[in-house]
Amino acid sequence: MRACLVCQNVDCKARGSEQLMAELEKKVTAKGLTDVEVKPYMCFGACQEGPNIVLYPEKSWYAGVKIEDLDEITEHLAGGPHVQRLDTIDSSLKELIYQLLDTGIF
Amino acid sequence: MEGILFPRGVVEGREGLNEYRGRGGYEGLAKALKSPPEDVMQRVTDAGLRGRGGAGFPTGKKWALTRECPEQPRYLVLNGGEDEPGSKKDRLLMENLPHLVIEGVILGAYAIGASKAYLYINANYDVAIKSITDALAEAKAAGYWGESVLGTSFTFDIELKPAPHNYVAGEDTAALEVIEGKKAWPREKPPFPVTVGLFGKPTSVNNVETLANVGPIILRGAQWYRKFGTPDSPGTMIFSLNDDVNRPGVYELPFGTPLRYLIEECGGGIKGGKKIKAIMPAAPSSAYLPADKIDTPLDHNSMRDAGSGLGCGVVRLVSQGTCIVEEVLKISEFFTVESCGQCPACRMETNTLTALLKKVQQGQGGQPILGQFSKVLTFNKGKGFCNLIAMPGPPIESALKLFPADFDAHLATGKCPVI
Repeated sequence: MRACLVCQNVDCKARGSEQLMAELEKKVTAKGLTDVEVKPYMCFGACQEGPNIVLYPEKSWYAGVKIEDLDEITEHLAGGPHVQRLDTIDSSLKELIYQLLDTGIF
Repeated sequence: MEGILFPRGVVEGREGLNEYRGRGGYEGLAKALKSPPEDVMQRVTDAGLRGRGGAGFPTGKKWALTRECPEQPRYLVLNGGEDEPGSKKDRLLMENLPHLVIEGVILGAYAIGASKAYLYINANYDVAIKSITDALAEAKAAGYWGESVLGTSFTFDIELKPAPHNYVAGEDTAALEVIEGKKAWPREKPPFPVTVGLFGKPTSVNNVETLANVGPIILRGAQWYRKFGTPDSPGTMIFSLNDDVNRPGVYELPFGTPLRYLIEECGGGIKGGKKIKAIMPAAPSSAYLPADKIDTPLDHNSMRDAGSGLGCGVVRLVSQGTCIVEEVLKISEFFTVESCGQCPACRMETNTLTALLKKVQQGQGGQPILGQFSKVLTFNKGKGFCNLIAMPGPPIESALKLFPADFDAHLATGKCPVI
């Protein structure tokens, strides 16, 4: 199972991550991506740049995501291109979070 | 054993003004007001008084930094938030020895040239608040604070401020925020309160026990004070023992007293006749010590050399047969809940550590998960406005180092090894 992790901590929520997660779930279902699970995540530590969404095991981190970005993210999940303009997070934080995700912490 | 704050053992019942004066109370203040404030500061510096709120910072130095600041007015804040779980010392001092505390506040205010002192007291401490309020009225009527203290030109005001009862509210800059009418959120440092504190003015924030030591130092002198304790940690410290020993309570002991004396002679040993597995000398944020460190002297240097700290003196014991994974998970959850949430790094660190520990508890993630704790802690080191971010590290890392078998057992079986 692939995971699409949507941060649900204070800052990301304040920027609309609950609605993002709900919309993303609809889009993933509509696209028939039965191997993708949209899940909440506690905190990626990049609150200022939220809402944050991480695709795993793809290890793609999208920051500052807006509703209008969700179609492209869904396309990526369906095999489309990586959304480069939303890939703005510092590599050392990415590395730490990806290592944590590798241990199954979600 | 003779003490400084409790010269005849821990007091029972509230000491009134007459009783306090009967044992030399406020004589130190009368003496101090006859000499310049710098003399008070010098005497406290010579005595080597260190803060009792957890950091152990030299009080004389803190006062000097505040006084050196040319900005006016200056403030003194008595920090009686006491939100450290299991700590009972400040409440006891405020309830039973309110004049000892107030004399320390007045002397501190005189030393730094403060025009006002705020007494920031845990709002749940009804008895302490009543006791301090009554003592303030008695002391004011006796001319110890207010206009022209004891007929001198020193004039200053005192106001009591209830403190919210949550962990970070006891942090010094969070206290300043509350006094200013804001949410109990720590401020970014620097600037430190000694230069930019309450209402942007130089402020010394001192713990209750710290200030309670000042009256005796001024009255009896630095040399007398240094007869107690060790050269690096002069005086005494009040330790809190909880229900993991046979005689829970607060105990004033000279710095340098072996930990064993506190646990066995004062506390009557660990409950239920069990053996000690680990000792946490400054719960909940210090490193665990193994049981064979029970003879470590209770002073700042010895505790640091042993790999732990003194904090504010809440000593906790872990008995043989207790799983350390379950213990550190409780600690980690505490810090996750108590993180105020304003600093992203703290939020991420506390949440992640708890999530990792839960995985270990449930036997998930295998051995590689154990390597993640230090990565998360290292990544977040030095980040965050206050020290909470540095608190879960010592218990978790020391537990991993001292008791790897407990972690291995959880990971191998998904069950707690002691059940």
